[in-house]
Amino acid sequence: MYETSDIRNGLKIEFDGQPYVVTYFQFVKPGKGTAFTRTKLKSLTSGNVLDRTFRTGEKLQPADIEEREMQYIYPEGNMRVFMDTTSFEQVMIEDSVLADDARWLIDEMMVRVLFWNGRPINIELPNFVELEITYCEPGVKGNTATGATKTAELSTGASVNVPLFVEQGETIKIDTRTGEYVERVRK
Amino acid sequence: MRVPSPALEPTLFAYSVREGGALRTSPELALKRVLAAGLPRVYELGPCLRARESGPWHASEFLMLEWYRAGATLPDLMYEVQDLVGTVAQALAQPAPAAWSRHPVRELFLQMCGLDLRSCSASDLSSRDPEDWDTAFFRRYLEEIEPRLTHPCFVEGWPASQAALATVRTDRDYARCERFEAYLGGIEIANAFQELGDARELRQRWIEANQERRAAGEPPHPIDELALDAIDRLPRCAGIALGVERLVAVLCGWRGIGPAQVPTTISDAQPTASAR
Repeated sequence: MYETSDIRNGLKIEFDGQPYVVTYFQFVKPGKGTAFTRTKLKSLTSGNVLDRTFRTGEKLQPADIEEREMQYIYPEGNMRVFMDTTSFEQVMIEDSVLADDARWLIDEMMVRVLFWNGRPINIELPNFVELEITYCEPGVKGNTATGATKTAELSTGASVNVPLFVEQGETIKIDTRTGEYVERVRK
Repeated sequence: MRVPSPALEPTLFAYSVREGGALRTSPELALKRVLAAGLPRVYELGPCLRARESGPWHASEFLMLEWYRAGATLPDLMYEVQDLVGTVAQALAQPAPAAWSRHPVRELFLQMCGLDLRSCSASDLSSRDPEDWDTAFFRRYLEEIEPRLTHPCFVEGWPASQAALATVRTDRDYARCERFEAYLGGIEIANAFQELGDARELRQRWIEANQERRAAGEPPHPIDELALDAIDRLPRCAGIALGVERLVAVLCGWRGIGPAQVPTTISDAQPTASAR
């Protein structure tokens, strides 16, 4: 068990039966009361953030979390298959668990797979991915006006908004944290 | 400064001194003896030491400004706080804070949590582990109320169980203590009491605080008989303690008291003189 004095950013705990990581903490003490630690807890499964306060002396349950670098290999039904490139061990994660992250997976991409009690619960993608545009409306030459965008379909099946000058067949860089277009990539 | 008994409150932890006694957590009891001896207005600006408190807004050693005035009431002290904060802001070339407001804590709970402190239970206040009423109260206060107190304000009418050395009044079945906390920039900068002048009542609270300490596995603080003896001679008065570094840090827009602190460490603190 952890004590409140163990609370640090990055500490992984189990709270109400779910795994969380501490993303903010501060010692607080009301004028005439006992001391507390105020925290923000980010769910390791959904990414949702909770504000929770722990009384000094309260025990926190450590979460059994393991992170492993693995390679995405292929989809299988509604699952995605990842492989440990050293042990060749494979794990399968449902698309519904990966939610939006599944949109950016490319064959052979290295990701960090998060295991909770030995069960894969989430992945951490590289911050940026480069993907080819498989379809978009033709570009308008010389139109670099900011703000105006069109929808582009990508090789993974995802859609993103891109500026009007971007052409089908081009490769673009996307920020996986926001799901937004960053820039064109010259190949 | 070494004192025989550093604090009455069960949630304050003192640094003990090998030769006996402890480092003071507040100058309160010493100043009350001076008031009881006949000086009507007393203040002290000096260091206080509290163990187990550290964070952006807490330090083991900090500067406290504490003042007492015979005949004063809590509204008098509210005016003095507003004056002092305005003067310090001017001295620091910072804009004066906006107008101050007053919030009875019972109204805050009604408005922000839909709970009446007169009748709600610990489990109404907190759905977490079973805990005592005051802990549940503070958890809810810290999670839902305090973050919304961003304007300058006085929070008053705290539950009677949180009186410490303040008087208690009961209005229409709600027992509250005559105490306020001053908030500036979302940070509590001061705490004021209408001072309890009843030694029997104070002795009872001291015994209860020590029972709480023992129940929590903490050593009790010896009862300060000299201070208790003085309490019966205490004039009707109000007093307040203000964290000087917090005031400066909030006015300057800093995110903690660090830059406002005189660089000392607790390891430098030597019990050079006995307070009494």
